[in-house]
Amino acid sequence: MKRVEVKLNLDAVAPLLDVIKAAVDELGEAPAIGHHLPDRERDFADGWTEELLKGQADDLGVLLRLFGKEFFADGVIALDPLNAEAVVRACAAVRLKLRERHFAKLDDEALETGEVNLEALPVKLRTAFAAYVFLATLQEVIIQHLDPSATE
Amino acid sequence: MPKTREQAETTTVTRLADRWRVVVLNDPVNLMSYVVMVFRRVLGFDDVKARKHMLEVHERGRSVVWTGVREQAEAHAFALQQWHLTAVIEPDEASGS
Repeated sequence: MKRVEVKLNLDAVAPLLDVIKAAVDELGEAPAIGHHLPDRERDFADGWTEELLKGQADDLGVLLRLFGKEFFADGVIALDPLNAEAVVRACAAVRLKLRERHFAKLDDEALETGEVNLEALPVKLRTAFAAYVFLATLQEVIIQHLDPSATE
Repeated sequence: MPKTREQAETTTVTRLADRWRVVVLNDPVNLMSYVVMVFRRVLGFDDVKARKHMLEVHERGRSVVWTGVREQAEAHAFALQQWHLTAVIEPDEASGS
């Protein structure tokens, strides 16, 4: 994958960062998805969770660093072979958390198809849904470069 | 009683050596293209196999993506969970565990 610079609309994306950061904070406490290990001792399961959390925290740190001073100066984020996998994983974690936190009442089919009546949602949920869609778009951009055949 | 203890240890060893499945469960969040990419990168599937399993997850709610010894099944499940797919392991009934 070559270095890819993506120019974003600062006015549109900046408001989404608060929602994303709040989800990132919550993800510091537990992995984005639960897990169950049959017939394993507590220590083993705890170590498993700890390792997942550590990797998740590293990935989320990479995602947040995309939106630093340079982003606020010119609206550009840079994706490259060093950060792409971490960012695409972090986007998945945040989207899962957003679903859990904000979209519990939306049915799965609406979430899968993206066919959500935004006007029917409270303003706070609209922002959360915009963040959810934005992160999916970012994932699609990365996947097109990491594994083009996956998007065909 | 020593005899009972030996039997218990034997049972444990046998179960660990049995075959286990890695099963990926559907979620409404992760993109189809993302799931295909993860299957290719984590499990080494080619494009056709990755798509087949992704569609199975999407349409049937679950797909068995790997079967083998428990330790390796756990390693695969862990790697899939690092990519935030809902992956579980379960005994492979066909192996008689």
